[in-house]
Amino acid sequence: MGAPPGLQADCEELLSRFQETDSVRFEDFSALWRSMKFGTIFCGKMRNLEKNTFTKEALALAWRYFLPPYAFQIRVGALYLLYGLYNTQLCQPKQKIRVALRDWDEILKFQQDLINSEHFDVAYIFRKLRLDKAFHFTAMPKLLSFRMKKKVQRTPVTEEFKEPNDRVMKLITSDVLEEMLNVHDLYQNMKHVISADKSNPNKTLSLVKDDFFDNIKTIILEHQQWHKDRKNPSLKLKGKDGEEKMEGNSQESESCERAASLAKIKSKAFAVVVQASKSRRHRQVRLDSSDSDSASGQATREKRNKETLKSAGRKKSSRKRGNF
Amino acid sequence: MAALPTGVEEQGGWVECLHPVWEPGGRRQVLSELPGVPTSSGVCSEQDPVASSGGCNFPEHKKPELNTRAFHVGAFGELVRDRLRGQGDLSLKEPRATGIRAAWARRGRRGWDDAAVARDLGCDLEAGTELKAVWGLGKLQCCEDQDPEVIPEDTDLVTLGVRKKLLERREETLTIDRACRQEILAYEMDSHAIGKKPENPADMIEEGELILSVNVLYPVTFHKHQEHKPYQTMLVLGSQKLTELRDPICCVSDLQIGGGFSNTPDQASEHSSKDLYKSAFFYFEGTFCNDRRYPECRDLSRTIIEWSESHDRGYRKFQTAKMEDFTFNDLHIKLGFPYLYCHQGDCEHVVVITDIRLVHRDDCLGRILCPLLTKHWLWTRKCFVSKMYTARWVTNDDSFAPDDPCFFSDACFRMLHYDSEGNKLGEFLAHPYVAPGTFN
Repeated sequence: MGAPPGLQADCEELLSRFQETDSVRFEDFSALWRSMKFGTIFCGKMRNLEKNTFTKEALALAWRYFLPPYAFQIRVGALYLLYGLYNTQLCQPKQKIRVALRDWDEILKFQQDLINSEHFDVAYIFRKLRLDKAFHFTAMPKLLSFRMKKKVQRTPVTEEFKEPNDRVMKLITSDVLEEMLNVHDLYQNMKHVISADKSNPNKTLSLVKDDFFDNIKTIILEHQQWHKDRKNPSLKLKGKDGEEKMEGNSQESESCERAASLAKIKSKAFAVVVQASKSRRHRQVRLDSSDSDSASGQATREKRNKETLKSAGRKKSSRKRGNF
Repeated sequence: MAALPTGVEEQGGWVECLHPVWEPGGRRQVLSELPGVPTSSGVCSEQDPVASSGGCNFPEHKKPELNTRAFHVGAFGELVRDRLRGQGDLSLKEPRATGIRAAWARRGRRGWDDAAVARDLGCDLEAGTELKAVWGLGKLQCCEDQDPEVIPEDTDLVTLGVRKKLLERREETLTIDRACRQEILAYEMDSHAIGKKPENPADMIEEGELILSVNVLYPVTFHKHQEHKPYQTMLVLGSQKLTELRDPICCVSDLQIGGGFSNTPDQASEHSSKDLYKSAFFYFEGTFCNDRRYPECRDLSRTIIEWSESHDRGYRKFQTAKMEDFTFNDLHIKLGFPYLYCHQGDCEHVVVITDIRLVHRDDCLGRILCPLLTKHWLWTRKCFVSKMYTARWVTNDDSFAPDDPCFFSDACFRMLHYDSEGNKLGEFLAHPYVAPGTFN
């Protein structure tokens, strides 16, 4: 069948609204679900065969957002979406969610992350799906029938949902750091051992900065911190009332100020709004002419991300200069 | 057991003759043989290196979207079972009973349930109980009395907008929207065996069994079939022998009856071709698996092997084996790659294994019902006279028929060509005919 028309737009609408809530809580998602009445997506006189095909395609579509390279929040949203679609489908018996074996490890890692970061409601939803036997464990995600004539359609990854690519952290992982430390220590010890004066190695052997490892560690930690600041700074933690505000607040106020000043500048540029085409009319940017500060429609959400990126980037480069 | 060749892919092979056009990106596949080069397509490809565990037992995309590398089915099954063991994912047991009594029982066991949640998620008991309460609040049902036939008026969903337009257009143009027979058949075939349990527990499919989905294409060559060749789909178990797939494949050439029977129409259904010519083979990854169960079975693949070995034709060495000695778990195959089934000497079917998955609680769990036919449709030829019944006879040089050849159902044929005593009237040649859609 291919993706049913409009389904991707609807799912992305739901996920982007979820992204805007800056939360990973199920209550927030289900509130959005109810407001969009997403459960009615199966309505409309579909006969059995069409229902089956549509549900299969819907689950396969939602599944894509559950895997990397999508951001953590999007992946959580996709899990909720899968749960919602699976439980509100009209097929009897229920259509299952296809999981390729090579993705299963990734999923389990995700589950472990959830438990470690104490997002218990997400983990509970996943556990519930598993207990309900909602999964089909397969070799490959899609059926392969050697359709050579069919054009290979690469499904484009929605850029706004992607996890920002952190090449630095991928290169220097904690394993690498640990090994570096070990090698460094070993090297220093070796120098001590082979020199005549055991406590003081030969001066000619000091080819490496002694504190190089500490430097790297500091830089990496700063980079991590910068990353955290620039991402969603206020993923609400469940249950503890006061705490959720505290962590997010200080960073929030900084980024708020930045955002506000930049928004003022942008608002002049965005005083004119482009008319969205019919297929995107639900994402039409609305100009709120009353307040120039809040002239940001939906379309400027991406701009905000880019702004914080730029300003944080500037911050980072200044730090870098300071260190060396 | 004959060693089935694996490993390095070569362009050669009998099957290539059926598909001479390779994609221009075909060269890419050579690179993907190198370790470390990502072979899978799709979203994960840039981030994930080639999975190091499992090696060639891990199905991965070869040509993106077309087929995987060759892998061993049984080893894949082992891998799956290893990964999923111990978490209840493999189990085929029924869910806990529903109903009032069960609900009471559950209430009594509530403490136990909460403890299970807490244990699985690694949180404390209090948080576990709270979770269940939260989940209860966050229900996804928006309106309890929403009729699934009716699209709600005030919806923002694009999908529903599209669907609504379609329904409205149908109403405007007075298109009667009913399931046609093909649709009903397709749905029924897909779902008729779901949830079936065997009476004898010894016939029950085991946990962790693999189900292979096999498309057997019809050997028709009509022009309209160029893009989408019709096929039948069978679901077969990993532990079943190749012969168990071979037997239920429905092909009209099996039912052909040779010879003219205009003088003796009643003797027509004595022996079909299936009984007379029992030889057949499957070709998978360089090995011909011949059916040698009966003394009449011949090695049909010998001709091909001799041909390929007579000169240097660029094919590697083929091997032969006995079909009845192999189960699907023993095979090395590529998913989505065309292989061959040949019977009746020259009736060739392309065979594609489209999917392998773990057996699920809701599947048909009776071994004896497998292989399961889940999709099958071919047009059929109808009787010229009644236009209703399937044609069973074809005549040539028939003075009674307006057409040469002409097709008749059994009743119409006899009424037209024979008198009430069964004497032949007029001159004609008659042959038993098997309509393509006989198995519908």
